[in-house]
Amino acid sequence: MIADEATYARLMAAAQKGDKSAYNVLLSETGMWLERYFRRRVPPHHLEDLVQDVLLALHAKRATYDTARPFLPWLAAIARYRWVDHLRKVYKHESEMLEDDHAIEDSHEDVVEARVSLERLFVQLPKKQAEAIELVKIEGCSIIEAAEKTGQSESSVKVNIHRGLKKLATLIERAE
Amino acid sequence: MNQARSTMIAGLADGLEPVRAFTSRDGFAMLGIASLAVVAIVHLTKGIWFEGITGQASPFFYVTNGLILLLGLASAATVVHMASPWVGNQHEAPVWASAMVGVLPVTALLSVFSHGSWAEVLVDDHAAACVAASIASAFCVGGALVFWLRRGAPVSLNLAGWFTGLAAGALGNSFYGITCSVDVIAHQGIWHVVPVIASAVIGRLVVPGLVRW
Repeated sequence: MIADEATYARLMAAAQKGDKSAYNVLLSETGMWLERYFRRRVPPHHLEDLVQDVLLALHAKRATYDTARPFLPWLAAIARYRWVDHLRKVYKHESEMLEDDHAIEDSHEDVVEARVSLERLFVQLPKKQAEAIELVKIEGCSIIEAAEKTGQSESSVKVNIHRGLKKLATLIERAE
Repeated sequence: MNQARSTMIAGLADGLEPVRAFTSRDGFAMLGIASLAVVAIVHLTKGIWFEGITGQASPFFYVTNGLILLLGLASAATVVHMASPWVGNQHEAPVWASAMVGVLPVTALLSVFSHGSWAEVLVDDHAAACVAASIASAFCVGGALVFWLRRGAPVSLNLAGWFTGLAAGALGNSFYGITCSVDVIAHQGIWHVVPVIASAVIGRLVVPGLVRW
């Protein structure tokens, strides 16, 4: 099944009260939601680590979910936070293409999911910063390769990555 | 779903304990207790300036303390809400409140300029005491807010740092400010705003490291 917002919220409220079976379903469904959420913004072999990292964060911070509010914007804020943290930490030298998952592109996103998507966050960055982060932190190019592909100097690529990540960290709760 | 994730989920679900959901009310209660403690300490050590309470102080006294108190409340409310992350959260109230408080030092400087003397601002025997007492008060309020954020899940750490510093500085200054009998604009507009700015900078530098998770 693919859970909807109301189902997530109901499962999370039950989990806060200690309902283990509801929590098991919630974490399984959330894991699948996170896979879809991160797929185009994380190298494939880092996807599972990041999903599990967010699930652990959800577990540790489950008390901070306010049952009066929707669940997905809360989850997305945590997911974005861990994702920016992940981009900061990860520096890959091998170049791998991201999965070209047309099923995701074609799938219907409801209004909430569109508002909380990573794409929405990424387009807030200036083009050069987004390009540098995408090439080096997500596709795994080296600084030299990224500099050649973008026509930027190596130091500009480094500066743009630094500034871009700093800006992403300030945009985590931004919906528009 | 892969085996590792299934195993992890089973383990987390198996060890699940009930938790009390966060509500902002808890955060405000914690802030209220810290504020009462600061007010009590300030008034026990400094005493109450009765002219201020009975309406005999200059208008600058009420305008300055009122605006700084509002900045503190707006910032503190924002910090309390930041403990529960949410895509779509707005954090604009402290920015506008800061802009309003910014009018105070500008007014003070214009006033000093119009008299043609900097001495009124620079040679102020009460300045150091006011700044030190305000910052000391800010540490108590700031400590409560940091404790609250550490229990929560703030995701905008730098903003949380600024706003915690602003809230602590502004509330600390307000609680101390009503004991200060120097009610001229040159003193109120400069030396009661300086600790707020200093506290905001300290908050930005120190708080993100304390609340990172």
